[in-house]
Amino acid sequence: MKRHHPGLSWPRADPDERTACHFCDAVQPAPRLREGEVARCGNCDEVLYQNRPRSLSRATGFALAAVVFTILAHSFPFLTMQAASERTELGLVAAAEALFADGDPLLALLSVLFTIVAPTLLTAGLLYLVMPLIYGRALPGATAIARLIQRSEPWSMLEVFLLGFIVSLLKLGHLAEIEFHIGLWALVALVVCLAGAMGGIDRRELWDRLEIARMSGPDTKPEPAAE
Amino acid sequence: MSGVTPGAFAADRGLASCHCCGKLSPVELGRCPRCATPLHLRKPHSLTRTWALLVAAAVFYIPAMSLPVMRISGIGGGEESTILSGVVTFWQTGSYPVAIIIFTASVLIPILKVIALVWLCLAASGRASGSSRSLALTYHITELVGRWSMVDVFVVAILACLVQLGSVMTITPGPAALSFAAVVILTMFSAMSFDPRLLWDQRRNVRIPTH
Repeated sequence: MKRHHPGLSWPRADPDERTACHFCDAVQPAPRLREGEVARCGNCDEVLYQNRPRSLSRATGFALAAVVFTILAHSFPFLTMQAASERTELGLVAAAEALFADGDPLLALLSVLFTIVAPTLLTAGLLYLVMPLIYGRALPGATAIARLIQRSEPWSMLEVFLLGFIVSLLKLGHLAEIEFHIGLWALVALVVCLAGAMGGIDRRELWDRLEIARMSGPDTKPEPAAE
Repeated sequence: MSGVTPGAFAADRGLASCHCCGKLSPVELGRCPRCATPLHLRKPHSLTRTWALLVAAAVFYIPAMSLPVMRISGIGGGEESTILSGVVTFWQTGSYPVAIIIFTASVLIPILKVIALVWLCLAASGRASGSSRSLALTYHITELVGRWSMVDVFVVAILACLVQLGSVMTITPGPAALSFAAVVILTMFSAMSFDPRLLWDQRRNVRIPTH
């Protein structure tokens, strides 16, 4: 375990780096920051980037926990519903299957994309990037994965799904007897951990660290441009 | 933070900040040297794309509101409910918080989001005015809040799964559910293709090619 040095900013490939505000395009120096500090645009006051405290270990920890909770959320049902003599079990995958078979296949596909594929991609991708970065390494394909994470981030809607879940229960609550199971609590924890993992590291810090890791890594040739 | 020279804008110097990783590089490179994303001074065809997606979203909003979002069928026949009638039912049965959540997420947010994007597009092309602070705030809220509209689609999906298996009553998603999902997705893409830097170009009275 490496010792933690408070106040040390992440390394940069170019020490005199300049940046342009993504909001107003004003060019300005991009100084290294102490932990907890935020760089704002001198022209429009937009947040440019920030140095999150203990970013790598925080992102790794939350992402690892998210993996565990993903497994739990997928292997246990959310709830059982008892109405009249019918007993219904609901899980994330089973729900999507049922919707695919008897409901609306396109809607089922969208739900799967937003609640299973995107969050899992985010968690696994972040872990693949951040864990080796603790040791200053970048695994093969890191650039492509970092881009993929950035693309899929807005489409991960587990927290919205959770709100929808609460609303549906309020709608059904008086019709049936509902019992909650591990799957649901795992999902709640997963939402928290995913937010912690994604918010744990600034995007700019992630890219700067990846750049350094690739430059100092064993094979220094740039990755082929995909797209 | 200090160090901004007044009038030092990246595009004027032929510098593009990467859409993906934020690195500043000369636009002639074509691709970002760090992450290989194609470089542009501004998001390509930003206003045209934003407008097109907005119009598409507005069109889908009509079936999303007027067609049934789900069908509830029981032994005594069926019943269809639209998004609005669902809100009304919740309100009448006294579930005020749920009624407010659904109304905000499904009715208010999409409409406000479309209005906000229209205002931003007009301001970016110089046909509407607004202080930079209020425009910035509008842009950020639009980006942040859009995904929460998806809640109603999830509610329908969850209800359909939960109730489908029971024999007494079944709930099937109606055509409005998909239309509404289309509204949310289209407005999300629309907000993504809007380039806020165009607002500043407009204020500075410069025109940077967006293709």
